[in-house]
Amino acid sequence: MAVNEERMPVEREVRIEAPPDVIFKFFVDPDEMVRWKGVEATLDPRPGGLYRVNVTGTDVARGEYVEVSPNERVVFTWGWEGEGNPVPPGSSTVEITLVPDGSATIVRLRHHGLPGGPEDRHAEGWEHYLARLAVAAGGGDAGPDPWMQSAGEQSM
Amino acid sequence: MEAARALAEPRRRDILRLVRDDELSAGAIASHFDVSRPAISQHLGVLKSAGLLDERRDGTRRLYRVRPEGFAELREFLDDFWGEGLARLKSAAEADHSVRVAKRGGLRGRQ
Repeated sequence: MAVNEERMPVEREVRIEAPPDVIFKFFVDPDEMVRWKGVEATLDPRPGGLYRVNVTGTDVARGEYVEVSPNERVVFTWGWEGEGNPVPPGSSTVEITLVPDGSATIVRLRHHGLPGGPEDRHAEGWEHYLARLAVAAGGGDAGPDPWMQSAGEQSM
Repeated sequence: MEAARALAEPRRRDILRLVRDDELSAGAIASHFDVSRPAISQHLGVLKSAGLLDERRDGTRRLYRVRPEGFAELREFLDDFWGEGLARLKSAAEADHSVRVAKRGGLRGRQ
């Protein structure tokens, strides 16, 4: 599994013209969370506390906070709730790191624990991935990602 | 929607587990289950058309295994999911920061 984690994390980075404390709240405060992700959030930002974000109105991401270091780092487990989902949420992990960069902040997101493919023997993660495929495919139409679309519409 | 329906059936998830590591014939897959061969064939058909399963002919046999491309597609999906999210986060945080700076400017004058 460790090999897969190294090979398969989703990694994104963005530079934001704001100090870390302005950004941190977006990961721990439900009202702030839904300004960038989801339509409804229940967050208990302490180790073991609930992370639950209703992403589109019907698709819910759920996990637990693992680490909450104010203005520096947030780690939470992550997965999808939902019909036909054979996997308990929380089978992968998202790490957010806030790195000051002058007057700005580099936000690094690393989503790991995702299975790499059929060779991955971590059954639970693999099933999680399959479940995600089901959800992704559930969006149906070609074109822009339907998840993004509906999340975006909610906030416009 | 097709993949969602395909995965909603537990037996089909069991089938995918079987062919995750090994390419197996329909017969070998069926031997793991307590249901009729036609029923298994039907499940295989559903999984195949949902893009979750690859089928290969070897003489008279048909061999099945998980379709690896599905994983790359999913990874791309998550990559977009977070990429788009962070772009929105950037907008929201920078808007907040501007407001804060403007307020400070209003109180103390521009620095």
